[in-house]
Amino acid sequence: MGSVPLEILQEWSKQGHRAAIGETMLLLGKEKNNIYAVTADTTPTARMTNFLNAFPDRLFDVGIAEQNMINFTAGMAKEGLIPFAISIAAFVPMRCAEQMRSMIGYMNLNAKVVGIEAGVRFGPLGNTHFAMDDIAVSRLIPNFTIISPSDPHSIYKAVYAAADHQGSVYIRLTGAPGFPVLYPDDFEFVIGKAIEYKKGRDVAIISTGSMLAETIDAAGILEEKGLSTRVVDMHTIKPLDKKMLNRIFKENRLVVTVEEHSVIGGLGSAVAEYKTEFCNAPKHLICGLSDSYKEVGSYEFQLEAAGLKATLIADKIMQEIAMGGK
Amino acid sequence: MNRIEKIEFIKEKAQRMRCDCIEMGYTAGGHGAHFGPALSCIEEIACLYFGIMNHDPKNPLMDNRDRFVLSKGHACLSYYAALIEAGYIPNEQMKTFKMDNSILSGHPGCHPEYGLEVASGSLGNGFAFSCGMANTAKIKAESHHVFCVMGDGECNEGVVWEAAMNAVKNKLDHLILIVDRNGFQLAGKTVDIMNVDLEAVWKAFGWNVKNIADGNDVGSLLTALEEARETADGKPHVIISNTVKGKGVSFMENNLAFHAAPINQEQYHQAMKELQQVQIDKGGC
Repeated sequence: MGSVPLEILQEWSKQGHRAAIGETMLLLGKEKNNIYAVTADTTPTARMTNFLNAFPDRLFDVGIAEQNMINFTAGMAKEGLIPFAISIAAFVPMRCAEQMRSMIGYMNLNAKVVGIEAGVRFGPLGNTHFAMDDIAVSRLIPNFTIISPSDPHSIYKAVYAAADHQGSVYIRLTGAPGFPVLYPDDFEFVIGKAIEYKKGRDVAIISTGSMLAETIDAAGILEEKGLSTRVVDMHTIKPLDKKMLNRIFKENRLVVTVEEHSVIGGLGSAVAEYKTEFCNAPKHLICGLSDSYKEVGSYEFQLEAAGLKATLIADKIMQEIAMGGK
Repeated sequence: MNRIEKIEFIKEKAQRMRCDCIEMGYTAGGHGAHFGPALSCIEEIACLYFGIMNHDPKNPLMDNRDRFVLSKGHACLSYYAALIEAGYIPNEQMKTFKMDNSILSGHPGCHPEYGLEVASGSLGNGFAFSCGMANTAKIKAESHHVFCVMGDGECNEGVVWEAAMNAVKNKLDHLILIVDRNGFQLAGKTVDIMNVDLEAVWKAFGWNVKNIADGNDVGSLLTALEEARETADGKPHVIISNTVKGKGVSFMENNLAFHAAPINQEQYHQAMKELQQVQIDKGGC
C-alpha cells in the first residue's frame, strides 16, 4: 500500500470524499486487474466516471436497483473477482441488508460495499437521504468488516486495505467537500488497528469518519482548559481494536465516542458492548445523532443540531467532567 | 448412450431422487420438509446433473464446470438428492437432513466440497447472484454455462426483475434459467396470489423464452435445455417448465398441504410404495 502526495490529498479534500473514492478506485484499478466496480446509477455521483473511461469493461451499472447490485456483486466475487459495489449510504446497506447478509456475509465472499454520503451530509434533501443507520445495519451481518475512514488519505488507505483483505467489507464515507487532510504524510493503516492520533491522560475521545476532525479541534479546546485529552481514530468499527480500548479503559477517566451516526447501533454501541466486560471501566459519553427524524437543513445545521461540532463536543465533555464523570 | 437410453437413464435417476427426497424428509420427523416444491422440479435438476451439465463429483471445483444455483432454495431436497445420486454427498448423510450439525439444512448452505456452491433460500437472490456468476464467466471468456432453477411464486420478488433486466443488458446468453411453474406458492395458487403471464413478461424483458407443456417430461426438458445451450444470440434463456407440485406421490400432487409438512410412518410407506412401483422393473429405490 503506497501513499498519496499532499497536493493530491488537498485536491481530494477540496472536492470531497466522492473524489477520493473515485480517484482511489482508478489508482487501484490500474494496479490490479481483478478490481471491478458495480454501481446503481451512481457512476457519476460516486465519481467513478474516470474509472469507467479507463476500464469500460470493468464497471457495471445495474441501474437503480441496490438489491440486485449486491447480488450481482456477490456472484462476481464468488467467481474470483474483487468487485466493489458503490452507492449512496442512505440506500446501501439498509435497502439491501438482506442481500448483504444472505448472499455476501453468509458465504464470506470477497466482495466490498461502499456507501458514500453517509450520515447527514444530504441535510437539505430530507430524511430519506440520511444514513444514520448504516453502521448498525452492517454490524449485524456476520463476516463483514466495517471501515469508516476520516480523511482523504485514510479513504485511499481503507480502499487499498479492503482490496487486500480476503473477505466482506463495508466502507462508509462521511464528510463534506472541504473535509480536512488529517494525515498529510504516509502512515500505517491496518484494518482493526485504531490510530492514537493524540496522547492524553484524562479524557479519551474515540471517533470515526468525519468526526475525527471535530474531535481533534474539541481536544484542542479541552487542552486549553487543562484537560489532557487522548484522541483515537477508530477507523475500523468491526472488528474493534480491543487492545486500544483496554488501554483507554485502564488509563483514562472518561471515555467519549463521537460519530456521525445514530447513538443506537454505531461506534458508541460497539464500545459500550465491549465495555460491559469490565468491572471498573470509566464512564462513557456517547455523542452521535439522536434517535429521531431530523428537520431539513444544511450539513452544518444538522451537525450543530446534533451537537457534533468541536465546541459543542467540548462543552458536553466539560459538563460531564463538572458533574463528576470520573 | 443413445438419446432413448439417455432419457431412460435420467428418468431412473429422477425416480431415485424422489425416493431420496422422501427418505430425507421423513428423517426430519416433526421438522417436516418442502416435499411439494422439491418433487415438482426433480426432472429439471435430474436433466441438468445427469444429461446436460459438465461436472465431476470427484472434482467439485473443476475449473470449466457448469455452475448450478437452486434459487428456490426451499426445494433443496431435490438438489441434495441429485448430489447424492451423482456421488457428491455420501448416502449416509441422508439421515442427517435438518439434524444438528448437518450439512443438509432446510435451505442450502455453502459447502463447495459437497457440490453445494451457493447458499440460497431467500427468494429471488439466488437468481440475481447467478447473473453475477454468468457475468464473470463472460468477463473471463470461460465457456461454461450457468444454470439456475427458480420458482414461479419466486417471480413475485422485485429483485428477480432487476436481475432480469441486467442479464439482458449484459448479454448473458450462457445463463439458462428454468422457472419451475408448479402453480402453487406457500399461501395458495400462484394465479390467485399474483397472476402473471410469465411467458409474456419474460419475453417483454428481452429473454429467449421456451415454454414446456410438461416440465416433468425428461425428453421435452432435454430438448429445451440443449437448444438453449446451443443458442448464443446475446440473449439469456428462460425455460418455463410447467410441472406438478408434489409430482410422483399421489397424495402430495397439487396438494398445498404438502408445500412444507412432516409425514408420518403411514404416509412414508405409501409414498415409497408408489415410487417403488414405478421403479419395480429397474431394481427399486
